[in-house]
Amino acid sequence: MIVQAIRSDLLKINGKGLWFLTFLAPVGLIAMQGLNYGLRYDYMIKAYAGDPWGGLLDNILMFVPIALLMGITILSSMLANVEHHTSAWKQLLALPISRYAVFGSKFAIVALLLAVASIVLALGSFGLGLLLGFDAADFPVTDAIKLAAYPYLASWTLLTPVLWMCVTYRNQSLPITIGIVAALISVFPLSEWVPTNWPLASYKAENGETFVLAGLIIGLVILLPAAVHFNRKDVN
Amino acid sequence: MKEWIIETRGLGKRYKGRYAVSNLNLQIAKGEIYGFLGPNGAGKTTTIRMLLGLIKPSGGSIRIFGRPLEKDRLSILRKVGSLVEYPSNYGHLTAVQNLEAIRRIIGVPASRIDEVLAIVGLTKEAKRPVKGYSLGMKQRLGIASALLGNPELLILDEPTNGLDPSGILEIRELIKEMPRQYGITVLISSHLLSEVEQMASVVGIIRRGELVFQDTINSLRTQSQSAVTLRVSEREDALGVLASRGIEAAIGAGDSTLSLGSAGDAAVALAVKELVQSGHAVYRVEEDRKTLEKLFLEIVGEDGSL
Repeated sequence: MIVQAIRSDLLKINGKGLWFLTFLAPVGLIAMQGLNYGLRYDYMIKAYAGDPWGGLLDNILMFVPIALLMGITILSSMLANVEHHTSAWKQLLALPISRYAVFGSKFAIVALLLAVASIVLALGSFGLGLLLGFDAADFPVTDAIKLAAYPYLASWTLLTPVLWMCVTYRNQSLPITIGIVAALISVFPLSEWVPTNWPLASYKAENGETFVLAGLIIGLVILLPAAVHFNRKDVN
Repeated sequence: MKEWIIETRGLGKRYKGRYAVSNLNLQIAKGEIYGFLGPNGAGKTTTIRMLLGLIKPSGGSIRIFGRPLEKDRLSILRKVGSLVEYPSNYGHLTAVQNLEAIRRIIGVPASRIDEVLAIVGLTKEAKRPVKGYSLGMKQRLGIASALLGNPELLILDEPTNGLDPSGILEIRELIKEMPRQYGITVLISSHLLSEVEQMASVVGIIRRGELVFQDTINSLRTQSQSAVTLRVSEREDALGVLASRGIEAAIGAGDSTLSLGSAGDAAVALAVKELVQSGHAVYRVEEDRKTLEKLFLEIVGEDGSL
């Protein structure tokens, strides 16, 4: 049943700019590093002489958390707005489909788009490295996969509550404010207990997998009451 | 006993201590067009949302197709098409894409999209984004969406709201065909009796959340039949004269008037003859025709004029 809802949602987001943003974000991050390396090529090459690929991934990583959290906020809000805009919730939820499937599908769509963005980012960093003349044979595949997967999974803690708020409230100012504040906070290394730090810590810290697991589990745990609430709420 | 497609018992919905709908007992039989009437804010939309499972009742029960809605929501909704208030299409998609988005969920054959577009007459405009549609076209697309799943029950909430007269006529003709051609039972809400009168077989009138009338449109018409009033000199005496001749009459509402009720021509003639012969002056013999609309306003009380 959820597959049908996802197929329907994929059709609905056509032409709404969600896919555009999904590709724009990673391409933008890569372009930014292209500029960074292009402007001070000699300095950067010298600074990371021992491990040029690692240096490049580290530089890209710097902006991954803020991009991820912004992406979560904007994509969730845009996705919810497809239904809010013409009050289509009442039409959708009067169809013979479980509300869990509807909510699950919204979650799956945002998760899918973010996953695509993360994969594009990993592929893009490989492309940029080649452009900068790095040796393809030395490309740290494991690190690139970690760069794509770890911050993404660690950010689920914020994905579920933001999506839930976007879907619940017609007025998007609260979830967008919360999402943007979280994105800004993620730039500053606070305590590792603060979830906004987990996307960065998941890649940088030695026990990065802990943050991945924590983000994933807490995200899924929040998904449960969010879906239950969505299932019970009155649709006006 | 009749087979009820929709049956509610003691249905109620409370918002912050105030009842929007209370103790509602709807009974809608198969193949009927049921006109659900009431002034704005009387609780029509709230009721319809409860019937579709969009909001949870505070009390009472709903049975659709003889099954409890609470337990069998999904299997019931599979056979229900609905249009709740203003249409809610996805403006950036074309009519075909809008229907496809619904079709992917309810899983009917793709050919059904062309069929419903033909029924509502949108085949030519099907490839345009819906945001460029007129309200009437959006409303027709809404009805197409409702018909997509081959429903046995169609629930339409104010489907002609905001339409021009020709649009209203179009939608009315469309709805009238439903029971005849497809055997669909229709529940249609409106705040205008005149709109429903011409298609509904049964009407339910709701006022301040309570059902104040539920019967066939013919029984409503009977109640709205004309009454004959006489204006006479000394009406108490005149009443005595009529009573002694065995003619039923009552003190009328106006000054020195007598009401003969819905008496036939012969009875009126007899009454006048008797009065004149016994020396009463008969100033006026008037027929007071109560229109359905007037009766409706009487039933819904002063709320109706809002």
